[in-house]
Amino acid sequence: MKDMMKTSTADARQRRKGSGDLLGPNSEIGRKLRQYYDDLVSEDVPDRFAQLLAQLEQAKPASKKD
Amino acid sequence: MAVSQGFKTDLLGSIPSLRAFALSLAQNADKADDLVQETLVKAWDKHASFQPGTNLKAWLFTILRNEFYSQMRKRGREVQDSDGIMTAKLAVHPAQHGQLDLEDFRGALEQLPEDQREAIILIGASGFSYEEAAEICGCAVGTIKSRVSRARAKLQEILQITGEDEYGPDAISTQVMGKPAA
Repeated sequence: MKDMMKTSTADARQRRKGSGDLLGPNSEIGRKLRQYYDDLVSEDVPDRFAQLLAQLEQAKPASKKD
Repeated sequence: MAVSQGFKTDLLGSIPSLRAFALSLAQNADKADDLVQETLVKAWDKHASFQPGTNLKAWLFTILRNEFYSQMRKRGREVQDSDGIMTAKLAVHPAQHGQLDLEDFRGALEQLPEDQREAIILIGASGFSYEEAAEICGCAVGTIKSRVSRARAKLQEILQITGEDEYGPDAISTQVMGKPAA
């Protein structure tokens, strides 16, 4: 039981080293990556997508069963 | 089976993330939006195969990614740079005082192979776990890990960033010593 706990703690630490720190707040690459991506996510969404979903909904209405 | 209102609302809410991922993959706004459109149509058609309560974003990213690679196979590996945008970004200057320009970063990201770029985006920016990223890409967790680490190393090299590993010697010693004992 104790061994298992030890292992899972080590795994968590390993994971932090592997992903968290690798691209975490200490990493300039990690910070730029999130800045790059967040810029993209916050762009305005063109109307065409809402229109597309409305069209899809008309073709296959939401409330009816097959 | 009917498509529920909730599913439609969730799809709408996922569009900003889908566009960001599509742009990261396709590096071209028109192609990215075509990818998102195709993803929404496919998701609508396949909505019955989505299990409510599971990760919709991961499911949609998987569809988008499959669409991206199948379009790429159809087109053959055409040069993505039709309008000279990439060429303009290729010149990367060394970071000044450790501050990295976002344009330079974008240019560096474009130079990565697709598999490495998608891996580092999924893990470092989209907020997926290694397990989720592996599922989205249809590969092993270890493959994602190695792609992320190669992507990071390549970006550091292109952007001439040094000293990032100073906070922990493990990355270096792991490379030198080989795999640490389990």
